[in-house]
Amino acid sequence: MADLASRITKPSDAPAEDAVAPAPAATEGQGNGTEEPADDGVNKGLVETTYDVEVKLSDLQADQDSPLYSGVSSFEELGLPKSINDGLLAMNFKKPSKIQERALPLMISDPPTNMIAQSQSGTGKTAAFVLTVLSRVDLTKPTQPQALLLAPSRELARQIQGVIQTIGQFCDNLIVEAAIPGSISRETGVQASVVAGTPGTVMDLIRRRQFDVSQLKALVIDEADNMLDQQGMGDQCVRVKGMLPKTIQTLLFSATFPDKVMNFARKYAPNANEIKLRHTELTVKGISQMYMDCPDESKKYDILCKLYGLMTIGSSVIFVKTRDSASEIQRRMEADGHKVSALHGAHEGQNRDALLDDFRSGRSKVLITTNVLARGIDVSSVSMVINYDIPMKGFGDKEPDMETYLHRIGRTGRFGRVGVSISFVYDHKSYEALSKIADHYGLDLVQLRPDDWDATETKVQEVIKSSRARPDYAPNALDK
Amino acid sequence: MTGSSPLRRQSYHRTNGSPQRNVLEEILGDDRNSEARHRYLLETAKREHDRVREEAERVYREQLQREERQRLFDARRKEEERIKLEEALAADRARLNELKAKKIAIPAPLPDPEPHVVPTVNGNAPAASLPTNNASTQPNGATSQRPMTVPAVPVPGAHVPKPPTAPIPARTQSQTPVAVAHKTPEPVKPANSVLGINGLLNNTSQPNGATSDSGTSRSAAQPSTQSRPDRHAEIHKNLKILRKSMADQAKTNAALKGRMGDMRREIRKSVGQLTVTLGVAGVNKIQQQNILRLLREARSNQMQSQLMDPSNFVLEPRNPIEGGANNDATLPSIFLYLINIFAKAAIAQFINEAGARPETADPVGVCVAATLSEPDFLWRGTSLIDIMLAKFRIVCPVLFGYRGSEKTEQGRQRLGWWKDSGRWVPEQQHMDRMTGLGAGFASISLRNFAMSKKTNPLPPRVYWTAMARIINTPPAEISDTQCVVLKAMVESYEQKFIEFYGTAAIAALRTALLDFPARAPQKSAAVNSLEVLAQMLKRDTGLVLG
Repeated sequence: MADLASRITKPSDAPAEDAVAPAPAATEGQGNGTEEPADDGVNKGLVETTYDVEVKLSDLQADQDSPLYSGVSSFEELGLPKSINDGLLAMNFKKPSKIQERALPLMISDPPTNMIAQSQSGTGKTAAFVLTVLSRVDLTKPTQPQALLLAPSRELARQIQGVIQTIGQFCDNLIVEAAIPGSISRETGVQASVVAGTPGTVMDLIRRRQFDVSQLKALVIDEADNMLDQQGMGDQCVRVKGMLPKTIQTLLFSATFPDKVMNFARKYAPNANEIKLRHTELTVKGISQMYMDCPDESKKYDILCKLYGLMTIGSSVIFVKTRDSASEIQRRMEADGHKVSALHGAHEGQNRDALLDDFRSGRSKVLITTNVLARGIDVSSVSMVINYDIPMKGFGDKEPDMETYLHRIGRTGRFGRVGVSISFVYDHKSYEALSKIADHYGLDLVQLRPDDWDATETKVQEVIKSSRARPDYAPNALDK
Repeated sequence: MTGSSPLRRQSYHRTNGSPQRNVLEEILGDDRNSEARHRYLLETAKREHDRVREEAERVYREQLQREERQRLFDARRKEEERIKLEEALAADRARLNELKAKKIAIPAPLPDPEPHVVPTVNGNAPAASLPTNNASTQPNGATSQRPMTVPAVPVPGAHVPKPPTAPIPARTQSQTPVAVAHKTPEPVKPANSVLGINGLLNNTSQPNGATSDSGTSRSAAQPSTQSRPDRHAEIHKNLKILRKSMADQAKTNAALKGRMGDMRREIRKSVGQLTVTLGVAGVNKIQQQNILRLLREARSNQMQSQLMDPSNFVLEPRNPIEGGANNDATLPSIFLYLINIFAKAAIAQFINEAGARPETADPVGVCVAATLSEPDFLWRGTSLIDIMLAKFRIVCPVLFGYRGSEKTEQGRQRLGWWKDSGRWVPEQQHMDRMTGLGAGFASISLRNFAMSKKTNPLPPRVYWTAMARIINTPPAEISDTQCVVLKAMVESYEQKFIEFYGTAAIAALRTALLDFPARAPQKSAAVNSLEVLAQMLKRDTGLVLG
């Protein structure tokens, strides 16, 4: 596998196509322990001992393809100030992930350069742009807006606000506000150096002159493909950008960047450095992807409840198509002893916040939701995602929604943790849809059956154990 | 303005509360604006005011009394705790002396390369598993150093410092303090004498758990002739045999087969359903009751599983006690199995959930302590929590004084770094696991049983001992793993720790968060994060350590 660095393109030689340089064949690190121990700097400081055998290089390098691997051993080496570094340590962040290691130096260098960056879900994109923003903010002007971060939903905007506050907990005078409906005081307007918000509200604030954008230095668009693609928000993003200083540094981040959006993204963030992935590289290897073969739709409820005995589950997210089934699942699961938050479009802003806060704080451990939360929401202890209904798009739900599938399962397996996704199929259509998704990403989904739970339990345990070790483990292909 | 509104509301309530006639009178009465009426209302209001005030004063007095009572109670409890600790300390000392007396007789067959002995703590620990491993290659750091005289905090059950040059058998003799610490100090017996079945069990191969992967990892700790075996590892091994035995029994016992899998999954689910309480009582009541119900069902053994000798799963031999619920020499194997499953589920929850969010360990810890202290789940008067400890010993050895370098193969093994398919798991995953286990250990061992009739299965001194073992590591051998475990043990448990140990706890925290990282030769992120935790405690709680 080529590492990411080789795929960073300089603005000067920006490719016309999305063509990715062919990966140089992996030569090192695959030998599984046959090489002689050697020192390549990865394990510098290796203690030479007479007795204990050093950790073999192959083991250390085994991580190299992982998006979490990086050669830099600390954030300090990236030149971040101590106050920021302490914030990272408080969050148990020990060393930068690959996207952070590669993208950060490019983003925090001067003169500021635009960036379009793609990396798998749960690999530290948010921290990467938050660190950039924090390094750009002049804390002696705490109420002067200097950085703006846009996200597609109020939940995500609040989450980003929270991450900035946590990483910046040792930065004095750091004020972060969320520009979402009902959050900015109408009397004072924006009084913060960093603003995370949704495009509509931000636009309103600027128009009402309650948001002084004159000294903004950085604009971050999270979930950029979604933000720039969607008719409404794409427009809004363009309009917001039109109101900002022309010199602003624009950073676009997402786990997915379909080709048609990419071209637009390049116009939105001209002359940008780019970090991209092929679409077979998009799935997070730590997530064991399985599917449950349900005899018919009515059995899905009971099968769902049974899943919780099969493996150790922290928190879980269940994606459903309709609000009605969300409510029904909630009722059944609560009867089974689960603490559940059901969150969908029917709930209004503050109420949604409260439900999600319950889930974040761990007061509830099951989140049932429609697509509103497919993207971006990061609750690190989520260890299972269930596609109770396969994500579909288009008129009459004709075709499977590839991107949404990816974002949904990306709610688990955060930062290298073990995660499980289970998709429910029960008829020809759902089976077909899932097959297409599997083909698209080159997945081998493991089949589970609900008739012998002892056997299913054993199988699930095997899958989890082996996918932790071997990313491409697949005892069972989708096609029967 | 603002002051007036509550008053008004009050009078409203009053009228609402009284019969309807009053309301009508109020509206229709001729005298509603008369002076007499006005006085009457004032009078009523005053009476009400006085009543409320008296009531408030009464409640206030009662509260003061309650607090005073509580204060006295706490003081008494602290004293009791202190006495208990001192007793334990005395017992341990006595025991240590006894062991020391004994060890001299034993010849040392192998020159042990282990360079030195940590004075206060740790002693035996590495010796227990290591020499068995590959006695010739096991040494820790090769960096044999001068004896550390860590001025550590008073360690309950502390060992007397030994000369660093002590021949190894000395250490292999002594029992881990933890194992001893919380047992009623009985006269010391050779561990194996009672475990008749053990010999039988030992014949089977010894997949020394923990790592459990693909035959790599550590080869089992086979008790070698000269050293006392690592009892925790033995229990762990016996549990594996138990699991296999259950699978075999299920083949011939339909009743057992029909129930066992469901019970196992039910327990796993219930443990997974536990949520953070944030101080609200009763949040996890259903789950707790469900777990107790399943274990009682197993205890009643209606599915007629074989009976088994529980001494295979406890650290010290036990004798029947007066009035104990389970005094027999056997317990149903399904019950022991489910206790094992419960412990396993808790550990898995620590690893998978608390690794990412340490605060989620707490409700699990509460549940473990509550369940394993249930009188009808004790065996001969003492908790079966040894099963839990055996698992902890395997998955998080640094809690028991094991040390190792993350840069070496054997070091990683000693630290409980997992392998998967022959490869070390990524660092992030290892450190996550250690975080969850550190928090999990604290969540069980810092429970307050002062108000409970039950006996604390894992009293705070076990926490203290584990912390001391980490803190007393010689500088050259300090590992990131230890720092991560230590941080997780302390974070958000500082208050409970201080409640138990007062100023001694503060001294221990200072050692853990300031002195210990200062001694570490390499200032890695893990080391620095201990100091950051001290900063956070200062900022968030006002606790100044420096």
